[in-house]
Amino acid sequence: MNSMAIEVLTPRYGIAWYPWAVQYFFMIAVSYSALLLTVPGLIFGNKNYQPLARVALLVTVTCTLVGPVALLADLHQPLRFWHFYANLNTQSWMSIGSLLLPLYLVMVLAYAWLAWRPAMQEQAQEPGWIGKLSGWISMGSWQAPRWMLVLAGLGALAFAFGIMLYTGAEVAILKSRPLWHTNWLPVMFVLTGLVAASGLVVLINRLMTGNDEEINRQGLKVIFVSMALAAVVAALWVSEGITGFSPSVEAAFESLQGNAEWRMVAIYGLAVGIVLTLATIAMLRRPGWMTRAWIAGLLAVHIGWTFRWMVLMEVQTVAKNTAGYYQYAVEAGSSGLLGIVGTFGLWLAALLIIDILVPWKKGLQAGSH
Amino acid sequence: MDKIRRALLGQIAKLTAGAALVPLSSLASAGINDQPPRREGDPSKRYAMLIDLRACIGCQACTVSCHIENEAPLGSFRTIVSQYEVEHEETGDIATFMLPRLCNHCDNPPCVPVCPVEATFQRQDGIVVVDNDVCVGCAYCVQACPYDARFINEHTQTADKCTFCAHRLDVGLLPACVESCVGGARIIGDLNDPDSQISRMMKEHYEDLMVLKPEMGTSPHVFYLGMEERFMSRPQAKPAIWDVRTQEGEEIGYEFDGH
Repeated sequence: MNSMAIEVLTPRYGIAWYPWAVQYFFMIAVSYSALLLTVPGLIFGNKNYQPLARVALLVTVTCTLVGPVALLADLHQPLRFWHFYANLNTQSWMSIGSLLLPLYLVMVLAYAWLAWRPAMQEQAQEPGWIGKLSGWISMGSWQAPRWMLVLAGLGALAFAFGIMLYTGAEVAILKSRPLWHTNWLPVMFVLTGLVAASGLVVLINRLMTGNDEEINRQGLKVIFVSMALAAVVAALWVSEGITGFSPSVEAAFESLQGNAEWRMVAIYGLAVGIVLTLATIAMLRRPGWMTRAWIAGLLAVHIGWTFRWMVLMEVQTVAKNTAGYYQYAVEAGSSGLLGIVGTFGLWLAALLIIDILVPWKKGLQAGSH
Repeated sequence: MDKIRRALLGQIAKLTAGAALVPLSSLASAGINDQPPRREGDPSKRYAMLIDLRACIGCQACTVSCHIENEAPLGSFRTIVSQYEVEHEETGDIATFMLPRLCNHCDNPPCVPVCPVEATFQRQDGIVVVDNDVCVGCAYCVQACPYDARFINEHTQTADKCTFCAHRLDVGLLPACVESCVGGARIIGDLNDPDSQISRMMKEHYEDLMVLKPEMGTSPHVFYLGMEERFMSRPQAKPAIWDVRTQEGEEIGYEFDGH
């Protein structure tokens, strides 16, 4: 057709999911990924991984507490959340998520409570309000058998797999946005979640537990393996588009061709990914560099968060029906910048409150006694 | 878009328009993201709309009357007429193409099964509606719609969309957009009634009817007559409206400051 079309009139379609969604997807992915990092030390009782498990458990609990808050905020009127339970539609992935999420939260809290309890009971002997509070929280001086911790951990793990599945499927089933509609997206969410969670563990290790070398090494290894797997997944996704017909890849190439901003982001993403992968290799090989692991940790958190920002927010700026792209500028208010900063602030508050109340650095129930 | 692909899409469009006439109720299995059963509405009817683009003059009377009838917030629309300027590359002749958009009341509406609370549902007469008392405002349906036919109403904080003016149809009135259409381009009616105007026109123009985004498999029930294939999916057009900016890069030419 040798004619050119100009779109003269079309309405502006707003963004339907706000940055709250990014915050939820980030927090919950860090939560389930950090939970995975506690498994060798806490559930299997492997002593080599107990320092890692200690930090990872703190990350798990804080992110599990804050994630659902961000999710509620994205409902526009959070108090309507009870509608989820009064009007179940188990055909919807989101409805399935609304059932999984509270159960996951309860299991994670039970797991952490059992892990921290011996130290809390010890602290309950001390005078002052912290001792008294520790007594209340630990609910008596009876000894919880180890199988209880293992059972709670396995329960949390089972629900964690449910969360991985539903958060991925919820987005990936949407045919309306071809960029989301690929089975590789849920896998990528988990891998980048592992990168971010390990990064955060390494970072907290630098700030709160004296830059323990073993934690750094283990964290960097997980980052390296996850990054390598993410590269494989990305390659598979692209090759699916080259060899067969993948609307997801086609939409991505279309955006790359038609939009300079997208090209910049793609180049940036690729560059940061390569830098992080190379940095982890360098740090793992040169013992002296290990003390700087927190830099890789920071970069890993950045990648985990930015991946979600790109996937959830930037994809929403691709017009479904009209030509071109929407302009999206982050608002200053609670549905924008304040929401983002607020979520991180709440997470920091949770971290500090737990740090004050719980002697989480002491031996965990898993092995030290 | 290359020629072969365009031709293929055109074929799919025609096929899908045909398939829409076959009842899809036989598709019943209970898996995740399957269509829940339809409820309410007259089971003997199947409402649909035919838009005769040859008669549309792009006056936006439908846009305005819908806005007033359904009290949508400023800047949000249940229906709108997209307008394109098409220039012949050799002769330089210019034509304007009008494309009224609204909810397609699909036979396989992707917005319905995603709803976590079954607030949005399809009536037995095919109309897709939202129960605002139940809706939680999660906007999942807004994401799932390939036609951008839904939005979160900033007044009610719930999902909002075209209902074919079900409240008017139920008392024997025409939808606001149909009532106000200057050229008589919008025809609504019951596909189950072989004598309805829409049934007669669909029979007459069967070969020329098209639907939007047939590749989505939604089986839309808004049919277009006089449609250009290049506008069926996301149009390959220059987005002129976004270029309306000041020298500082600030967007002008938009009155509404909503999100």
